[in-house]
Amino acid sequence: MVRITDLPEDEREHLIGKKLPPLGPQSWTKHDKPLTDMRVALITTAGLHFRDDESFDFTDATFRPIPCEEDSRNLIMSHSSANFDRVGFAEDVNLVFPIDRFKELVSAGAIGSLASVHYSFMGAGLMPNAYEQSTREVAHLLKRDKVDAVFLTPV
Amino acid sequence: MTTGISLVRENAESMQPPRSLWVSFPLGRPLGVPNDASFQHGVIAASLALLEHRRGPVLEDYPLDAPDVCVKTTPVCPVSFPKSDDNTDWESRLTSELSSLKPWYEIGKKRRGGRSLARLSNLSIDKNIRKLGKYLDLNHLPIDELQWFKQAIEDAKVFYLEAMTAEPGDYDQNQIYQKLWHETQLGAGLFLFQERFAAHPTLHPFARIILPRNAAVKTMN
Repeated sequence: MVRITDLPEDEREHLIGKKLPPLGPQSWTKHDKPLTDMRVALITTAGLHFRDDESFDFTDATFRPIPCEEDSRNLIMSHSSANFDRVGFAEDVNLVFPIDRFKELVSAGAIGSLASVHYSFMGAGLMPNAYEQSTREVAHLLKRDKVDAVFLTPV
Repeated sequence: MTTGISLVRENAESMQPPRSLWVSFPLGRPLGVPNDASFQHGVIAASLALLEHRRGPVLEDYPLDAPDVCVKTTPVCPVSFPKSDDNTDWESRLTSELSSLKPWYEIGKKRRGGRSLARLSNLSIDKNIRKLGKYLDLNHLPIDELQWFKQAIEDAKVFYLEAMTAEPGDYDQNQIYQKLWHETQLGAGLFLFQERFAAHPTLHPFARIILPRNAAVKTMN
């Protein structure tokens, strides 16, 4: 178990030091359909991509598409931060990118469907506003894919 | 609409995403426990439930911690890292260490159904390790091939970690990483790269990607 108060002082100060103000004006979208009818996409900031894709640079605000039908076991990670565990992700992709869990939810009828493409960013070394252009691009792609809700995972 | 997981509560509090579930899990493990579908489904369900809220921002705490790993029952790292003769060069020491890890890397890879995070770089692990060793021997920094260096050290670290965790079971992360940083030639080499990058007038930010901030702190004997 890890809480911020359990971390070494320098690690704690670094993470709390990121205390940033809210991103722009607050937005709130009301759900207009039950979860069982929703189309859901996954977005992670874990720096994931397939081996043939270009790996993430030292700092990098671009994104990589993760087609839903591709075998997620082939996903690798080129995140720049050395400050988190890789062993868990090597054991199980779903620990970071729970695509199999979401496929199970679709099979069980708990959610409507999954996006045809999911996305990964690499969250390190840049301030949030550096991602504005690429996140707008992804938002556009999600709308085109008729996605209702996005499940976000950090790393 | 979005919902999601937060690993640092203080950051979610300040940035106020519309819906966020704070979890107490270690960085790198937002779903809590590898290969535990039931535990992961619990986390997902709690996060998806936030979509039902009528107004926000919503920040809720997930009530469960990831189970602690019992260090006494954690599998023993199958690889031993004997003290090397410091009179030999880095390239020799690193390639020799790599040879001792290879069988365990293959065993680990087989156990994971052929999955491995290594091979970000276009070069083989052998070539990467030799090249890293040469840079250390020459006391140079790879300033003209930083992207290769980023990929090569990432490949090397995951190759070692996957070999060290070849046996099935729950591993204590601290134990594994302490061994990697403080008992291996790779760890010693990475400290040297970090030191050299940190002293460079313009490339010092690169030192951050080599080792964790707290790597120098020995917490195990």
